[in-house]
Amino acid sequence: MIIPLLKGLATTLKACFSKPITLQYPEVKRPVAPRFRGHPELVINDDGDRRCVACTLCMVVCPSNAIRGIEAAEGENHEKYPVAFTIDLTRCIFCGFCQEACPKAAIKLNNLYELAQYDKSRLILDIDKATQEKSQLRMADWL
Amino acid sequence: MVNLTIDGRAIQAKKGCTILDAAREHGIYIPTLCYHQALKPIGACRICVVEVKPGPPRPLPACATYVAEGQEVVTSSPKLDAIRLELMKLVLINHALDCPICDKGGECELQDLTHALGVSVVDLEAVKLPPHKDYVSELIERHPDRCVTCGRCVRICRDRVGALAINFTLRGYFTELASGGLPLDCEFCGSCIDICPVGALINKVFKYRARAWEVTRTEMVCPFCGGGCSYELWTKNDRPLRVVNYDTALLCGRGRFGFPVVESPDRLKTPLIRENGGFREASWDEALDQVAAKFKEITEAAGSAAIYGVGSPRATNEANYLFQKFFRTGLGTHQLDNPGRYTYVQALKGLAAVFGFPQVSGVEKVAKPPLPFHSPLTTTEEAKASGFPLVLGKLKDLPKADVALVVGADVTPELPPLGWALNTALERDTFHLVVANNRKTKFDRRAHLSLRYKPGSERLLIAGIIKSLLTAQPEWAPTVIAGGFDEFKENINKVNLKDVAKKTGVPEALIKETAARLAQAQAPAIIFGSELMGQDKGLENTLALADLFLLVGRPGAPGSALYPVAEKNNTRGVCEVGVMPEFLPGFVPLEGAEPGPTLPEMLDLLEKGDPKAPQALYLLGGDLLRQLPNRSRVEKLLKKVPFMVVQDAFLTDTAKLAQVILPVAVHAEQEGTFISTDGSLGLLPRALPVNGVRPDWQIISQIGSKMGFAMSYASPKQIFAELALGMPRWAGMAPKNGGAAFTAEVTGQFVPFETDISLPGRRPFTLLVGKSLQHSGSFTTHEPCGTLTITNRARLGLNPADAQNLGLAEGDFAKVTSSQGEISVPVTLTPELPEGLVFLPEHFSQPAAQRLTLNSNLVRVTIQKG
Repeated sequence: MIIPLLKGLATTLKACFSKPITLQYPEVKRPVAPRFRGHPELVINDDGDRRCVACTLCMVVCPSNAIRGIEAAEGENHEKYPVAFTIDLTRCIFCGFCQEACPKAAIKLNNLYELAQYDKSRLILDIDKATQEKSQLRMADWL
Repeated sequence: MVNLTIDGRAIQAKKGCTILDAAREHGIYIPTLCYHQALKPIGACRICVVEVKPGPPRPLPACATYVAEGQEVVTSSPKLDAIRLELMKLVLINHALDCPICDKGGECELQDLTHALGVSVVDLEAVKLPPHKDYVSELIERHPDRCVTCGRCVRICRDRVGALAINFTLRGYFTELASGGLPLDCEFCGSCIDICPVGALINKVFKYRARAWEVTRTEMVCPFCGGGCSYELWTKNDRPLRVVNYDTALLCGRGRFGFPVVESPDRLKTPLIRENGGFREASWDEALDQVAAKFKEITEAAGSAAIYGVGSPRATNEANYLFQKFFRTGLGTHQLDNPGRYTYVQALKGLAAVFGFPQVSGVEKVAKPPLPFHSPLTTTEEAKASGFPLVLGKLKDLPKADVALVVGADVTPELPPLGWALNTALERDTFHLVVANNRKTKFDRRAHLSLRYKPGSERLLIAGIIKSLLTAQPEWAPTVIAGGFDEFKENINKVNLKDVAKKTGVPEALIKETAARLAQAQAPAIIFGSELMGQDKGLENTLALADLFLLVGRPGAPGSALYPVAEKNNTRGVCEVGVMPEFLPGFVPLEGAEPGPTLPEMLDLLEKGDPKAPQALYLLGGDLLRQLPNRSRVEKLLKKVPFMVVQDAFLTDTAKLAQVILPVAVHAEQEGTFISTDGSLGLLPRALPVNGVRPDWQIISQIGSKMGFAMSYASPKQIFAELALGMPRWAGMAPKNGGAAFTAEVTGQFVPFETDISLPGRRPFTLLVGKSLQHSGSFTTHEPCGTLTITNRARLGLNPADAQNLGLAEGDFAKVTSSQGEISVPVTLTPELPEGLVFLPEHFSQPAAQRLTLNSNLVRVTIQKG
């Protein structure tokens, strides 16, 4: 009668001295694999400009129509750059096709996974919000 | 027919067609790069090589090899594939990998070819060439690093447009497209852009605005001249972005770059009502109610003849038809006309006098309801027609003529497609071009005979040609059955050839040679433009040409016809649907009723203060002040009219005199049809939102309904069905089609014409008010029209010698004075003009060329510095 109880307590006791497998989320974040697919964002160069040339291939390849409203403009040196770009994370399925299609490596899936929002409109990213390091979703301080 | 096999498939092909044509017709794919269906093949890229047996022991280009009986053609073999792959690698060796930002990406023939031929790696290397990019030229941008040296742009510019503005420079690997320096100085038609298989030539108006696959494409007729070209309008998010003609790639500058005018900030957006000396915005209901109430009040007080209407050569057939119905059926009067009265209608009246009014028989209604914008009538076997429309030529037939006499027309600015047709004709060695003009025009360079006459002496020159023909061959009988020849001959005998040579300034020998050429011709064509029709004696000028056609014309031969230039998109249509006091729709002369005054007669009535003068004017667009000669007089007279309604898209100077202005839809904001200069029907589908304005037909129908007339229609389709039912000559008419062919019976009557060519006044210079290449009426003079970057204002063309005598240099302001008025305008030195002749385009409101004119497009002026 007492033996199974002791067996159980022994298991518990063993676990007390081994490394815990649970994380103290959200205080502690779980690291993700290097090829983890978070939400897409626009990559910036060292000089702070977006790499994107508004070729719209990501918009074409996107299977869930999460990328839309790309508008291009001409720069001083005749370069093409986007002035409008919308990534709709409510539609995004994190497939990574956009990253694969991009000829300029200008759109990449990052490693952010904390996308839950009280307000759905926060998930529709305009060009500034979709740009790397400007993404408001990076600050997970809404908790 | 020729029998041959392609890839083992037995096929039949037309004699004289190429292997590529035969293969395409039977759905066999042969890759091409330098080939374009609108150009002569040159076999430069060799991508289309095929093996041909019997034939030389090497592959031959399919685009430049003709089919032969018993030929065996192989389009694909390991050897051919290897050749194509190697050629593609050589093309791609220095090709800029700009696809993400290149506007051609998505419809690039090189991209397609790279995929089709499976080129994955280019394992060749060569020195990088300096990218001589051209960002400074207007409208067109050049990227030589994307060029594949196929030569299509060079060929279209040389063979079709005739501008010879671009060519290759250097040789071999270093070959580059050049234009003799920067920036580009050409006609800016942009045909090179659309024929380029890659993105080496880019349309600046469209640049970076959309990718090729994102746009909605709508095929429509071009509204910037009477040529009736059809193009595809690209729209995205309800905005027009670009126009492309995929068949021939040919469009003129205003056709290709003029469409942004639709988005002009100058456009009127709401109806305006005059109040306390200014205008206030009003709702549609209020404005239309006011117009209807005022019209009713005037008709009750002064009779229905107190309202006078002026139709528009810009509005659709449907709108113009409703407009004349408003007057004829609604008000029961014939008080209407169109501004073509001063040009094209003069020609029509002249032609009608010589060739008679159209008579049509053997037309019946089709059994089943026709498609929208298709005529509900069809021809029977006994269908016959006569009258002047039969001698009006079709542009596609013009290249079949063997002699073309161009009189009083600077062809390309007046009607670009006519210029392309002449260039096509000039490819044949047997074709002879005779250009008669008062100044050097584009086609003088290619003309076999060039006659330079003094301004306004056209009909005397024609009389000289006729006299010379009849003197050389006294037994000459008219080639068209015609009456009144003996009397006409007597009249012509009075003409003295020496006198003609002296007065016109054309040497006698040239007149005789022209006459001889015309006498020998088997299919002569006579082309004349608004320079000749726009004179006060435009009718007499046309009579002279019509008489000449009776003498030498051969209406049975394709291409042998008269080609009067209908200047605007619907100049011919507005006349055909009956917006003239004396003609009902279909040029049926008005019988049993008194026709109202013509536009000039109406102005005379106003001047005299005649009780018959109109109390109200209803203008369907058309800036009369800018178009009609003697602006000050027209302005004074229009101000006398108590109530004026103007339907226009812009607040024009004429509209500023109105009591009510109703803003209308233009271009692709409305649905409808136009009749081009050669009588074919152009369809305008709706592709853009109207943004609060309304189409012309809807406004007329609403005013009519408010006045109690039965004029309510659901759509232009319904109006067209009603209109076409009453037009037997339109039997078989369908979009892009000029209607069914009738058994023609061309007969005529010689009508003597006046040969007095004196121009009143003693001032030293003659001013010609004419057309500029980049503009169409005043429509294209509003920002952001693309061609405004090329010709942004009126400049007075002046011979350099005259300019030197006057002490004027390029860009200096000159004061031009005529008996009617005075304007100040910058000068441009134009060696093409003879001394004593100056030229001013008519399109711009500042300075207004028509301030100087009296009753013709020619006027004597003095020019001073300052």
